[in-house]
Amino acid sequence: MIFLRRQVPLLITMITGLVFAAQYYIPHPASEQVLTSATKWLQIIGGFALVLGVTSLFHQHAAKIRRKEAGWGYSLVLYAGMLGTIAMGLWANGKESIDGAATAFGWIYNFMMVPLQGTMFAILAFFIASAAYRSFRARSREAAVLLIAAVIVMMGRVPLGEYLIPISGDLSQWILNVLNASVRRAILIGVSLGAIALSFKIIFGVERSYLGGGKE
Amino acid sequence: MTFSERMLKIDRRIIFAVIGVCTLLPLLYPVGLPIKISPEVRGVYDYMEALPERSVFLLSIDFDPASKPELHPQAIALLRHAFRKNFRVVAMTLWVSGTGMADQLLTQVAQEMGKEKGKDYVFLGWSPGGTAVIINMGQDLYQSFPSDYSGNPTKGQPVLDGVQSLKDVNYAISLAAGNPGVEAWYVFGKDKYKFELGGGCTGVIAPGLYPLLRSGQINGLIGGLRGAAEYESLIGKKGRAVAGMDAQSATHMAIIMLVIICNLFYFSQRRASKQQHQIG
Repeated sequence: MIFLRRQVPLLITMITGLVFAAQYYIPHPASEQVLTSATKWLQIIGGFALVLGVTSLFHQHAAKIRRKEAGWGYSLVLYAGMLGTIAMGLWANGKESIDGAATAFGWIYNFMMVPLQGTMFAILAFFIASAAYRSFRARSREAAVLLIAAVIVMMGRVPLGEYLIPISGDLSQWILNVLNASVRRAILIGVSLGAIALSFKIIFGVERSYLGGGKE
Repeated sequence: MTFSERMLKIDRRIIFAVIGVCTLLPLLYPVGLPIKISPEVRGVYDYMEALPERSVFLLSIDFDPASKPELHPQAIALLRHAFRKNFRVVAMTLWVSGTGMADQLLTQVAQEMGKEKGKDYVFLGWSPGGTAVIINMGQDLYQSFPSDYSGNPTKGQPVLDGVQSLKDVNYAISLAAGNPGVEAWYVFGKDKYKFELGGGCTGVIAPGLYPLLRSGQINGLIGGLRGAAEYESLIGKKGRAVAGMDAQSATHMAIIMLVIICNLFYFSQRRASKQQHQIG
């Protein structure tokens, strides 16, 4: 059993890891065909992952409702929302509209999901303003630099700011293009090197946490 | 409690009210301040302008309704430009929750511009797999999307004449609110299949995409509502983004004022406590 649980997954990981790392550098039609097939598999697995995700969500919230844990009412709302949407989606054959007329599924999307998500995003502005007032203070030299840069970028990104202080637009562009881009690039390079190192560790079986912590 | 301390602990509902007023008033009474065009937005516009008629333009609408206020105007302005230039528009999404919205916006702009489905544009919809969809499209577009969102077979549609994979796309733009988005389109798409790529994104993620812009990995970037307003100005058809810029100006100014005021009270409080400490 250990062989099936440990060695086989490690072997599959090593072979596929090495094959697809090499595939990128081999522009032969056979190599391209391998990639086409593999990405098709990935898409199919992606579809199953979605089903798995929904099932897991249902299972988690069912347990919450059964045990009447704190906030179980919200889980009930989630159940009603998900089951209702799935039922309407199946009934409408997944279409939001048929011949220009909205289906029940389209109605849920347009008049429930769109405004709810929009509202969630819109209230961010209020919380950001409140948080900025409470915590954006020049407590140290570094915080002061951050604060000045933020004020310049906020000024430079809106027409009123550029109208009041014309140089703020150019300064904001410089901050984004030079300071921000170079720091981000440094972070990106670091993260990428880390990802390469981790990939090697996974391919060669040094990092095995993805296999789970089951009994051997 | 001193005055500064009280002001620093001000009821947050007052701040909410200030932001609410700063958003509402400019929407009700617009000022219409001029909008300066940034080089990154012009990069996208100029590239689109230089492309010949019937070029294949791929628009990946990689956002959900949460980012609609910022990215919907970008999508509308880009589609208007593409249809005006008589491009063949291929739209799709990598975000399942954005599918209905993407279909609606494409249909709306296509109808407004008098374009025909299947001949001038196609909406491929969504396919599972995230970034794998991009690689799969790079290998064979018809394998990733055997049928379009309406269920019609993609093969044989005049809009896709001569298009076999991403290699045949003249220009692609991802309008992204996160991942998968512009970065995924570069890493898994442009880098391997060599097509020109532009980006559009929410204001929050724009700073993170500047390294791609500076290195030429994307040839332009439309950032947030400001970027959308710039694009609307460039195509000469002002819409929601331009209308929203006054509200954004006012709220930015309000937040700047709040930050300055809070720092004034903070320093005054700090000085007072220092003086007290010296006396004590």
